[in-house]
Amino acid sequence: MSTQPEFPMESPLLSDQTRGVRSKPRPVASWREHHGWSAGSSLRRLMSRPVGTLLTVAVMAIALALPLTFYLLLGNLQKMGDALGQNQTISVFLQPGQGGSAADLMARKLRDHSDVASVTVKTPAQGMDELAKMQGFSGALHTLDNNPLPFVLEVLPTPGASADSVDRLVADMRDMQGVDQVQDSGTWRQRLEALLGVGKRAVLVLAVLLAVAVLLVVGNTVRVDIASRSEEIGVLMLVGASRAFVRRPYLYAGIWYGLFAGVLAAGFAVAVELALADPVARLGKVYAGKLQVDVLPPWLLAAVPVAAAVLGWLGARLVSAWQLRKAA
Amino acid sequence: MCSPLRPEPAAANSHKAPDLLASIPYPCGIRDWGCAVIRFDQVSKRYEGGHEALSQLSFEVAAGEMAFVTGHSGAGKSTLLKLLGLIERQSHGVITLDGQNLSKVGRAGIPKLRRRLGMVFQDHRLLMDRTVAANVELPLMIGGMAPAERNKRVRAALEKVGLLAYERQLPATLSAGEQQRVGIARAIVAKPMLLIADEPTGNLDPSLAVEIMDLFAEFQQVGTTVLIASHDLPLIKKMKKRVIVLDHGRLVADVAAQEVL
Repeated sequence: MSTQPEFPMESPLLSDQTRGVRSKPRPVASWREHHGWSAGSSLRRLMSRPVGTLLTVAVMAIALALPLTFYLLLGNLQKMGDALGQNQTISVFLQPGQGGSAADLMARKLRDHSDVASVTVKTPAQGMDELAKMQGFSGALHTLDNNPLPFVLEVLPTPGASADSVDRLVADMRDMQGVDQVQDSGTWRQRLEALLGVGKRAVLVLAVLLAVAVLLVVGNTVRVDIASRSEEIGVLMLVGASRAFVRRPYLYAGIWYGLFAGVLAAGFAVAVELALADPVARLGKVYAGKLQVDVLPPWLLAAVPVAAAVLGWLGARLVSAWQLRKAA
Repeated sequence: MCSPLRPEPAAANSHKAPDLLASIPYPCGIRDWGCAVIRFDQVSKRYEGGHEALSQLSFEVAAGEMAFVTGHSGAGKSTLLKLLGLIERQSHGVITLDGQNLSKVGRAGIPKLRRRLGMVFQDHRLLMDRTVAANVELPLMIGGMAPAERNKRVRAALEKVGLLAYERQLPATLSAGEQQRVGIARAIVAKPMLLIADEPTGNLDPSLAVEIMDLFAEFQQVGTTVLIASHDLPLIKKMKKRVIVLDHGRLVADVAAQEVL
């Protein structure tokens, strides 16, 4: 019984070493080679239609940049809130003409209040000094003949006092004789905190929704790509390609889309940072002295392209699995 | 025990230059000469809607044999080949390919099985955006062969079909006959145990058709089992190989090579 046929004819292209020997198994090298080929071919395919690729990437980048931008804005609002309301004191401005003795008397009364932790009396001179430091126009203030500022009582509510009891305290103080105005920065701060909390949750929800949008954009792009290359997929499968082999370039396409969009989104966010830097600094100067724009941390800027690439891969994977199941 | 069924060297090819592809070893291995590589046992195929394309078909094709499957349009020729390539599954019966029951080949096993086959189609099924060499290289790349060896094999296969000079060209720049030869080079480059061709000369003029059939005969000479679906009776008669005749999905004649007139 004869087994392998003889091959009587020699080939100048082949060495004798290959005769009668199967190809050496090279799973790792082959796997690496397939991945390299898939990554390269998918990148070339994307580059071969630059306008379409750019539009897809831009849509994804905007979707990714929106939550980043809102996150940045909220961060800056938070920082500003922190700067403006470093303590939750209530400022009680006395009527002009109320002297130091009236201020001391009022301070003593307030210290007896159950919701008050401490009261500090600020003289008009101290107020003028603070104002001069804060606004930076001390020269102009010193030209005034008289100090127009009133005595101010800085009242710190008892830690843990409820918003209602602080509101009642503020109302009581407004009713006190000799009081011109009561400014409750604590309540303002609490409201800001509450608003920021809502904003943060909204940004989170928006980020999830836009991440789904990114998934859908990549998925749809890959779906169209697969549909347009169904003939090629058919040929590959007929010559023995596994689904993983066929799918790999589309997964890499998803990764490329995500990666490029992530880089572009990070770029958008940095541009927003730069655009905000000057106005925020000016605003900070007016309200809270020196205030620098809050920037996105470098780790977040680096994480965005990575997370976007993962999203792109996931979108491509979901759609390609479904599409290739239909094609097989 | 199978009896040797080594084919006689074709007289037409005896004067040819050294065969480049022939010296490349078979990666898949082939079973003993003369043993059945293909076995159909009471195979039927009924499509959705009730059309029965094949009905209780039974035959064997031995290793190293070349056979034609013929019959009028709709006789079931293409379905038969599709069953072998696992493009379709039979409704009843058992198909054995190189000892492997095809019914038991799962989804993951299909690519592995297809890598052991060479398939040639009437419409070539080439990737038009890739060069001739890249098209021929596909099965080897999918199989994970090293680039250097792939290159040798691709060149050998293209040399075999007479298209080495066109390796860097796109298929669209070639004639229909040349494109078909690229398809054949792709089918044989991995030295498959079985070469199946569905109307490979359907779009070609008679002289080109003979040329293509001679190529298939050459591959048979070096041990490849060849099964060709064709309705071109004059060409089939000229080739003097075994002929399996189908009619409405049934086997109506099985003519041995020496009995072909």
